[in-house]
Amino acid sequence: MEEGYRILEHPADVGIEAFGHSLKEAFEYAALGLTSIIVEPASVDPSEQRFVSLKGTDPENLLVRWLSEIIYLYDGEDFLLSDVTVSRLDHGELEATLDGEKMIEGKHKLRMDVKAITYHQLKVDETPEGVHLRVFLDI
Amino acid sequence: MTALQKLDEYRYLIPKSYREGMKVEGLIYASTELIKAIEHDLTLTQVANVATLTGLVGRSLAMPDAHQGYGFAIGGVAAADMEKGIVSAGGVGFDINCGVRLLRSNLRLNEVKPKIDAVLNQMFRDIPCGTGKKGVVGALSYEELDRVLERGAHWAVEKGYGGSEDLHHIEETGRMNADPSKVSKRAKERGKDQLGTLGSGNHFAEVQYVSEVFDSETAQAFGLFAEQIVVLIHTGSRGLGHQVCTDYLEIMQEGMRKYGIQVVDRQLACVPIQSPEGQSYLKAMACAANFAFANRQMITHWTREAFASILGNGDLGVVYDVCHNIAKEETHRVGGSLRKLLVHRKGATRAFPKHRPEIPADYMDVGQPVLIPGSMGTCSYVLVGTERAMEETFGSSCHGAGRAKSRHAAKKDITAEQLLEDLKRKGIHVRGASKSGLTEENPDAYKDVSLVVEVVHNAGIARKVAKLIPIGVIKG
Repeated sequence: MEEGYRILEHPADVGIEAFGHSLKEAFEYAALGLTSIIVEPASVDPSEQRFVSLKGTDPENLLVRWLSEIIYLYDGEDFLLSDVTVSRLDHGELEATLDGEKMIEGKHKLRMDVKAITYHQLKVDETPEGVHLRVFLDI
Repeated sequence: MTALQKLDEYRYLIPKSYREGMKVEGLIYASTELIKAIEHDLTLTQVANVATLTGLVGRSLAMPDAHQGYGFAIGGVAAADMEKGIVSAGGVGFDINCGVRLLRSNLRLNEVKPKIDAVLNQMFRDIPCGTGKKGVVGALSYEELDRVLERGAHWAVEKGYGGSEDLHHIEETGRMNADPSKVSKRAKERGKDQLGTLGSGNHFAEVQYVSEVFDSETAQAFGLFAEQIVVLIHTGSRGLGHQVCTDYLEIMQEGMRKYGIQVVDRQLACVPIQSPEGQSYLKAMACAANFAFANRQMITHWTREAFASILGNGDLGVVYDVCHNIAKEETHRVGGSLRKLLVHRKGATRAFPKHRPEIPADYMDVGQPVLIPGSMGTCSYVLVGTERAMEETFGSSCHGAGRAKSRHAAKKDITAEQLLEDLKRKGIHVRGASKSGLTEENPDAYKDVSLVVEVVHNAGIARKVAKLIPIGVIKG
């Protein structure tokens, strides 16, 4: 399985598919995929770090909470992501370090506002070959 | 699986045998042409899924502009019994009280057309729009934001944005029964510097003219006449509303475990209306709705200022302001008796007929204005609510054109330069915050709003009053 993410089409909205060797890696790619929808990734520098600690009731719920956190950091705290490391992801708990910076008008090439993460056709598929995630966004 | 049944030219029934667990039937309003588009995506499945929810009254409905959404289809209407039914955050959607407001002027097309570029430049300067754009009022304190959430458009009028006469022409007079303590700090954080912004996506402000009057008596009551300049504003509750929905989807999922509720799609998460979680959601939803009412009131004020500075005055009055995404407690006649219901409208407009107590006194003898925006650069409609809508759709009608192509596909079809050129040739001037925002809203990505309006008019669930054609567009 090839690692990374790709953006999917939906009649009204946009989705992300992420692939990784582990759940941690797939969650990282999903966050980078989401960021690439919001902003031109190359325009964001890693000048600041944020730490995130989350709990979920199941992997699907944890994925929605994780990506909702990224949206909140952008829309509520003006924080844009350049890179991410998920250091822990087990028993429904996630810990991650986010690199990035506060939004600067004129510097960051914003692409699109994302309203929210949905459960529509949400998929967390863990196989011996790797992990495949799929999630749709409301934009 | 039993197939869709055509009842008449504009009605298609989804029988209970369509899928397991349907407690009520589904009903789709569509023409032969529009039903093809509706069958093309997951709309029918989603209408049938909604029909599995507890305590629904009547049928799970979809309007002719329906298309696939999340959990609920966009263009869906579902009414739940106030005592035994459920409320679903997904049944209202992320953009709580996304809606439209129509302003009428005392100006005619020939007076404004020569100055349209100047008018648009002024509006584009004064109305913050586009991705990541902050409001010109700056970040509000939490105390002030709570007052916005509690008082809605009334807050805006008290702060000098418009006058109290505007409030009579807003659904709920621009203020629903809200409790800011039910809204998370995160939602407030997302909202506090976004008040007074148009946003991006399909949100817009358009300068239009009345190109056709279908019902002169009702048009006159609404203050509309042929060749008149009007302004249509389409926006919602911004990040605050999106976060309220995100938060309550989580709360409702926990609530479902507590109340032993199971749903066929997690996006349909719901709780009993009378549960503490259900009541909290309705109070938080009302906060977001009030934020949106205040937002449209502020944008109205800046539009008036732009008209005043370029055209002298314009005398812009509010025709009406409607919600497209909302849940409302209403009394409806069901099987001969009056019942209190919670009507979820997700991408649908209330369409109440004359003599309903909820509508403004000066429209009492004609009915409620129903505002239907078309896609960018096409046309929009003013309709009026009907008795038939009360009988069949809990007083609801369509809300717009309905998307037919993905944003990505829309973008691939045309360049921003080509689109602007095409629109200019049609006499429509555009100011857009981003090129990609423009091409995503390429009119070809939408169904033809006129086909949608013909269905609701012919089915009798709203009646045509006037057609509006844009001459200028401000796009987020």
